[in-house]
Amino acid sequence: MADFLSTYGSLIVSMILAAMLGLSLYLPLMSGQLSLAGAGFYALGGYIAAILSTKVFTTYSGDLYPVSYVLIEMIVAGIAAGALAVIVGILALRLRGVYLALATIAFVEILRVLSLNIDITGGAIGIFGVPQPFGTPIEYLWIALPMLLLSMLFVYRLERVRTGRALIAIREDELAAESIGINPTYHKVLAFMLSAILAGCVGALSAHVLNTWNARQGTFDAAIGHLAFVLVGGSRTFAGPVVGGLALTLLPEALRQLAGINGLPPWLAQFLREGRLILYGLLIVLGAINFPQGLITPAMFKHHRAAKDPTT
Amino acid sequence: MTDAPILSASPILSASSVTHAFGGLIAVDGVSISVQRGEIFGLIGPNGAGKTTLFNIMTGLIAPNRGKLFFEGRETTRLPPYRIAERGIGRTFQNIRLFGELSVLENVMTGRHTRTHSNVLSGVLGLPAARAEERATRQQAMQLIDRIGLTDRAHVRAGSLPYGDQRRLEIVRALALEPRLLLLDEPAAGMNTREKQALSDFIRQVRNQYHLTIVIIEHHMPLVMGLCDRIAVMNFGQLIAIGVPAAVQRNPAVIEAYLGSRKFVDR
Repeated sequence: MADFLSTYGSLIVSMILAAMLGLSLYLPLMSGQLSLAGAGFYALGGYIAAILSTKVFTTYSGDLYPVSYVLIEMIVAGIAAGALAVIVGILALRLRGVYLALATIAFVEILRVLSLNIDITGGAIGIFGVPQPFGTPIEYLWIALPMLLLSMLFVYRLERVRTGRALIAIREDELAAESIGINPTYHKVLAFMLSAILAGCVGALSAHVLNTWNARQGTFDAAIGHLAFVLVGGSRTFAGPVVGGLALTLLPEALRQLAGINGLPPWLAQFLREGRLILYGLLIVLGAINFPQGLITPAMFKHHRAAKDPTT
Repeated sequence: MTDAPILSASPILSASSVTHAFGGLIAVDGVSISVQRGEIFGLIGPNGAGKTTLFNIMTGLIAPNRGKLFFEGRETTRLPPYRIAERGIGRTFQNIRLFGELSVLENVMTGRHTRTHSNVLSGVLGLPAARAEERATRQQAMQLIDRIGLTDRAHVRAGSLPYGDQRRLEIVRALALEPRLLLLDEPAAGMNTREKQALSDFIRQVRNQYHLTIVIIEHHMPLVMGLCDRIAVMNFGQLIAIGVPAAVQRNPAVIEAYLGSRKFVDR
């Protein structure tokens, strides 16, 4: 077991981080808004943590960076991302559908170009030597796992209360939602802000996990990855993006393992090792055709929910 | 035929010279209407007469090019739809607009949005006040659902209901916001005669129970004539007649509008 954890520690942690990034994309989607801005807030959070830990919080005793500092960085990153999201959201959420998606891609690109060109982010080289709060990668679970469970609980609860119903109402029919008194802009910006806070916090933690942060983190490619988590996992219940994030992060590693099996023809082994993007594409296409709602659908929980409801 | 409406001197809703054009087409042309508190007010006219556009203007979905609107004495002309709903105007749509993926119960609970106040944090954390509010909302919603006989289907997806039930559910979702004015856009469309009669009784019932004022767009003449206290007739965007049903029925301009469009004879 210890062996397994030390070998696969980073993989398990990145699976959990991916699940949260999927959730972050799911939040605006609850109100029907396809935003890819999460990758930008993730990058922002990472830079905040990298800068704070290498330039500000430099005095501490012992070899390991204090966990409490990591938590402070995450809070700072969350607040900064949330505040920026309110500003960006008010401007961008006037746009609908594909135009909103394009605007958020532009936002991600602006942040990337900025980080490449200003000094504090280390330009193209980025920031190296982000200090480690733990001795082994698997120990990041102490932060990542509770964080995932909390954010899942948050979204689970959200879907069952007044604010969450308002978000879903906007997704289902914005005009009807408005005509029963739901302010669409307020709720869309709210969902956008919650999504940014989560992405910012995950970014801050990721900077430590990866030990380095640069403009290659949180790019357009990453945003498409997050989108795939939701599309493959399912966009109608919070469990979808979580399963999608876990599975799609595990998949390339699993394929790499498969490629190591003796006796495979060389072309197949190479495909398994390097063809993950092709497989991603295939999965997204096949998923969209065969499981348009994703692998995990609300119907799977329906029986359960109805049985638990006291009014039935 | 109808219960005596409680009429008061000041209108609950008034539109003055409201005009709106889509490009070159003048959909609503200088319409002035006053709806009295407590009445059931019918809005009729051939297809394309501008009735639904007038509804959309009254509920803020369309900002009129000219003219003003007042609800309970306060101007609502340029308010966004959700503000108008907050003020107490509920509505249904000609083409039913339910939240299809939400359950029947959730649709009606969502209708109580303006009457509830828990925010995202108190809701998610399940603070006592938010929990109590949620329970009360659920109960009130179930009572409304009970009125349209959908109690045993409260947890069914709204989109999977039969057509007539969807129409009734949409009315009940609008009632959930406790409006003082309810705008119904062709609520009886697609219903058979018996269902129409039941709907008519239901509308009168809720008007009396909740002291509502109701404006109703409807094509089915027997329903309109039997239900409404007053009727306004629109044709080509203009108001051509207004008055009690019997007088409107005899109005030559109305007869011509309907005969001219062949609709009156066909139906």
